[in-house]
Amino acid sequence: MGERTTIDARGAFCPGPLLELIAALKLGQIGDEFDILSSDKGSVTDIPEWCKKVNHEFLGTTEHQGYWSVLVKKAK
Amino acid sequence: MAGNGLFILLCSGEHEKIQMAAMMASVAAVSERPVQVFVSMNAILAFAADVPPSGRYRGGEFSRLLQEKNAPDAISLFRQGRELGDLKMWACSMALDIQHWEMGGLVKGLFNGPLGLTKFLSDAETGQFVTL
Repeated sequence: MGERTTIDARGAFCPGPLLELIAALKLGQIGDEFDILSSDKGSVTDIPEWCKKVNHEFLGTTEHQGYWSVLVKKAK
Repeated sequence: MAGNGLFILLCSGEHEKIQMAAMMASVAAVSERPVQVFVSMNAILAFAADVPPSGRYRGGEFSRLLQEKNAPDAISLFRQGRELGDLKMWACSMALDIQHWEMGGLVKGLFNGPLGLTKFLSDAETGQFVTL
């Protein structure tokens, strides 16, 4: 099982959270999970769509007070 | 597999349009689309070397808000697109000539080189074309 990394991108504006996720994914191993915390509500739709397009695995979104947690698994 | 190319012709010196070009270019590039940006007219003035972000942009209400709220700087977004994806940036050779600028007069490490409009238009026949 891969490692899980939390990326706190709260306060960053679009497309900051996505770009932070991608930078982290580049450094990770296949199977690693990345939990990105974002206060940008566009991330809730943008990150799953990006995962679908480039073939990473979107594991789900959890809403918190004023931000979202979006979980992604590096698949390639 | 790389998707259909995105070609952005950036002419406006308005901060809001430069910001949108940077957002589109960076997101498309990291989404495995090859992107080319051709910078000309007033837009090239925003890419002058050694100018701080506070003096780089001219715009309206959203320009003020983007800077006040520390939105990602357009130059940084273009850089991230280049680092994380297939993004090429070209400086219009005509705009450089008019300004009497060489490539050294532009932000360092951002542009692939000078290019003529004819070559850019020819390359753009294969992809999606956006003008800002």
